[in-house]
Amino acid sequence: MIDVRQLKKSFGSLQVLKGIDAHIREGEVVVVIGPSGSGKSTFLRCLNLLEDFDEGEIIIDGINLKAKDTNLNKVREEVGMVFQRFNLFPHMTVLNNITLAPMKVRKWPREKAEAKAMELLAKVGLKDKAHAYPDSLSGGQAQRVAIARALAMEPKIMLFDEPTSALDPEMVGEVLSVMKQLANEGMTMVVVTHEMGFAREVGDRVLFMDGGYIIEEGKPEDLFDRPQHERTKAFLSKVL
Amino acid sequence: MDFRFDIIAEYAPYFFQGLLATIGVSLAGIIFGLILGLFIGLGRMSSKWIVRLPFSWYINFFRGTPLVVQILLVHFGVMPLFFAQPNGLVSLAVSLSLNSAAYVAEIFRAGIQSIDKGQMEAARSLGMTHAQAMRYIILPQALKRMIPPFANEFIVLIKDSSLGMVIAAPEIMYWGKAAAGEYYRVWEPYLTVAFIYLLLTLSLSKLSHYLERKYSTQ
Repeated sequence: MIDVRQLKKSFGSLQVLKGIDAHIREGEVVVVIGPSGSGKSTFLRCLNLLEDFDEGEIIIDGINLKAKDTNLNKVREEVGMVFQRFNLFPHMTVLNNITLAPMKVRKWPREKAEAKAMELLAKVGLKDKAHAYPDSLSGGQAQRVAIARALAMEPKIMLFDEPTSALDPEMVGEVLSVMKQLANEGMTMVVVTHEMGFAREVGDRVLFMDGGYIIEEGKPEDLFDRPQHERTKAFLSKVL
Repeated sequence: MDFRFDIIAEYAPYFFQGLLATIGVSLAGIIFGLILGLFIGLGRMSSKWIVRLPFSWYINFFRGTPLVVQILLVHFGVMPLFFAQPNGLVSLAVSLSLNSAAYVAEIFRAGIQSIDKGQMEAARSLGMTHAQAMRYIILPQALKRMIPPFANEFIVLIKDSSLGMVIAAPEIMYWGKAAAGEYYRVWEPYLTVAFIYLLLTLSLSKLSHYLERKYSTQ
């Protein structure tokens, strides 16, 4: 589903991705962990080209992102993204946040978009907030709306960029449980997170990144219980 | 001290004409300034420096030189290229438009760039084009923040239209000067003129407060 080959990316003179190879299968939940500055968020943001990359290639669902005839907007319709800071549209109600893209991008009629939005709000447990504005929501509620907003486009892949890092501790659970449900339904997911419990429980595979490389990858139980690489051991000993 | 209301009464029809002219050139300056300014502001934000360059210099020139000089250049330099008998009010409206466009461009740019970049990223990640993201996400939020600086700029524009006097454009100030010249009086004509400008600028600032309140409810 996602093929990444020798991905390289620099910000000015600082190279943050030094050659990433990854292959993500349909329905797989891949969790990316690693210290700050390891390049994991940049890697994720390259997958829908929110961040342009310098070398290598990314192929999503058979489409090469850097090919000349690739319509990036079409690719992005199929790749949902959830941000650390929610990025809800503050001038719109929750309902309009969710229906905007399906109506303007997918050209759905309003009734269809609203029915879909209400179904998704029910799924994330926020049906009663449909007509609220984002600034009246708690962090956990806002992030669940953001997930519903991404799902409304019916994407094939969901990217999560530290979705619980900006939340108060008591709200982390409600967001993770929505993500867990999504994983159980077979969504292909790439999740950058510091939630090791989630990685272990929900992840099919864990990638450990450090210094712009994928240092080690494997099943959660292998990587967490029997890390092979020194840097992985050092990192895990600090976070577990 | 005697205050000669008869002078004001005599000149009332002219002040009224001048008022209409001032409103006319100011509206033209605001409308064309907004349209041209949006265009220049967008050009100024281009990611290519070669595209940015002419727009930056437009802004540099019109913000960095006195309006009175621009009015003289437009009326005696540019307009005669197109018209045998340049009309003072037209020249004034053109000068005000060109000048306010530079300030409007910077207001647009500052307003758009003040919106958190996560908003654009979220919109693009949903498959929206850059234009859709601008239209539905960035501009509605940015315009709200632009209301106070726009009001400020257009209040200045209304007052600056009085500089039309230097090319004998018959706006309010022109008639004030005419009355002052005829009767050698200072207070009656100039206080009347000041009072009319005050009415115009206060109306505009009330309108701005109303818009601010209207759009801040969400």
